[in-house]
Amino acid sequence: MIVTHELRKSFPAQRKLFRPAGPATDAVDGLSLSIPPGAVTGLLGLNGAGKTTTIKVLATLLRPTSGSVTVDGLDVVDHAREIRRRINLIAGGERMVYARLTGRENLWYFGQLYDVPRAVLGTRIDELLELVGLTDAAGTLVERYSRGMRQRLSIARGLINAPAYLLLDEPTLGLDAPIARDLRAVVANLARDGVGVLLTSHYLAEVEQLCGHVYVVDHGRLVAEGSPTALTAGTRLPHTVELTLAEHAPAVSAAVAALGAEFEVGVDTEERPTFLLRSPEDLAGELATAVVRAGGAIVRLEVNPPTLEDAILAMAGTPTSVAAR
Amino acid sequence: MRAALRVFAAEGLKQHRRIFGSKLVVFSMLLWPVLTLATTYYTVLPVTEAPGAAERWPLVAQPGRLLAFLAAGALAYTFFFSLVQSAWHFSWERISGTLEAMFLTPASRMALVLANGSSALVQNAWLFGCFGLAAAVATGTLHLAHPGMLAVAALALLVPAVAWGAFLNSLLMFSRDSAFLYTLLDDPLWFIAGVRLPLFALPVWIKAIGLVFPLTTSLVVLRGALLDGKDVGDLAGHLTFLAVLSAVLLGATALLLRVGERHAQRTGSLQLF
Ligand SMILES: Nc1ncnc2c1ncn2[C@@H]1O[C@H](COP(=O)(O)OP(=O)(O)OP(=O)(O)O)[C@@H](O)[C@H]1O
Ligand SMILES: [Mg+2]
Repeated sequence: MIVTHELRKSFPAQRKLFRPAGPATDAVDGLSLSIPPGAVTGLLGLNGAGKTTTIKVLATLLRPTSGSVTVDGLDVVDHAREIRRRINLIAGGERMVYARLTGRENLWYFGQLYDVPRAVLGTRIDELLELVGLTDAAGTLVERYSRGMRQRLSIARGLINAPAYLLLDEPTLGLDAPIARDLRAVVANLARDGVGVLLTSHYLAEVEQLCGHVYVVDHGRLVAEGSPTALTAGTRLPHTVELTLAEHAPAVSAAVAALGAEFEVGVDTEERPTFLLRSPEDLAGELATAVVRAGGAIVRLEVNPPTLEDAILAMAGTPTSVAAR
Repeated sequence: MRAALRVFAAEGLKQHRRIFGSKLVVFSMLLWPVLTLATTYYTVLPVTEAPGAAERWPLVAQPGRLLAFLAAGALAYTFFFSLVQSAWHFSWERISGTLEAMFLTPASRMALVLANGSSALVQNAWLFGCFGLAAAVATGTLHLAHPGMLAVAALALLVPAVAWGAFLNSLLMFSRDSAFLYTLLDDPLWFIAGVRLPLFALPVWIKAIGLVFPLTTSLVVLRGALLDGKDVGDLAGHLTFLAVLSAVLLGATALLLRVGERHAQRTGSLQLF
């Protein structure tokens, strides 16, 4: 179990010659979370919320300003070396591998640095190459890899020490849909095998699919936590229902209004009347019944439940125009 | 220890790919040192013809030995400069993100910088080293007190060079500005360490600064052992100084690595560039 208690990390302001330094940046501001083994835990927040900083503290690349972080009871500051053996970090954006080495050589290089037992290193490299689909490209220099291939190699690098805890900082950034899907399967399997995973991602569908428990941070502070469904339900964001009629029917408007929900009337591109309904509950069934009873012919009915994305935007108190991706 | 050896193997491969990955490798390993040697020789030559030069610098009367003197300088310089280059590349790892990947591992930081320097050295300089030695033997300018002095000369060149390389690498933990490596350590190093001119020709204050660079003393030992037939007894003072200087550099490296990693953990500077 990784446990952070009142974790705070502030970056000192850049010192300038002859001028007083500006204020320090509080990137993480009193965060308490726990990452159990055998599950995927989500860490969500808008840009600059402090996710990467948190992950780097857990990975020993940064030192907490105050508060504590323990990995299986070991303190990150006092037992950094032991913790480095047990964890690994994969960040999106295809960095962290050597362009002048082949895929296999990259994995061997890091295997050596992690002191992976010689007897298992060879087979582990083969398995990892297989896992990320780079077996055929294993002998090719990484400078010839596509971006997705590099990213997959850096995922394999992150698994070379068979970490007990895996920190994923937007691991699917830049990956195409099928590969991102494969990666999600890999992550789910790792968790099933007992690895504790911390995932940050701007693809919320990914988080909703993988994470049992999610922490939402904003300005370095925890604003909410819970399962993705509980979080979306908790914010009481509206479901939207969009309904298109074949032709105008006067009785329909009155029937829709009778439902008591907020709604807008409009026309679609083919000049057919449309209704956009917002309500805390899913009113699609009642709406359809009401419209049909009033003599309307439904061409299209679309229901949009609130997403985790909406929930996070709502919790972070940011206007929806600033999209989270 | 075993883990450290594995780091050496890993860095060996990485440096090999870096150095031999470029087609210009033969140029930088052999042609470039030979070319600079030639230009040095012909730059120094007119000076040697000045009246009275031979009294102060007896070597100028013997062009063959003068060339050997300069070649020894070029050889040692090539060795030391390959470490400046490897430090430069080390600093680039900050940008490629691999520096962070390295610091994510439990590998000993000291082993990493030592391995980085020594494998760059071995792979970069062996060709010119062999070439220089062969040339010295062929031209009959090699003058050894006994064969063991060859090993002494090699050690006096390699050990301080590796310590120096590790020190440079550890300096880069703090500074993202690696340009200083080239501006400060290319031409000035040639001059200050007596690569082109004998040390007695330099003013005292330059000599004093020069002593800080291990290249200076390495070069004195190298020339003494290979060209002037001096033995360990003759060179004891210089050898002791080199040993102390190497130890100081390694101690400073260990300290800089510790403080530097702390600094990076505080400011997040490993990812900045
Ligand atoms: N090395 C650093 N020095 C100074 N400030 C930093 C440093 N790294 C991050 N910060 C600041 O800390 C805050 C949190 O940054 P962080 O990278 O953790 O955010 P994030 O949640 O990962 O954002 P994103 O979604 O954009 O990746 C930001 O205000 C950022 O400017
Ligand atoms: Mg981030």
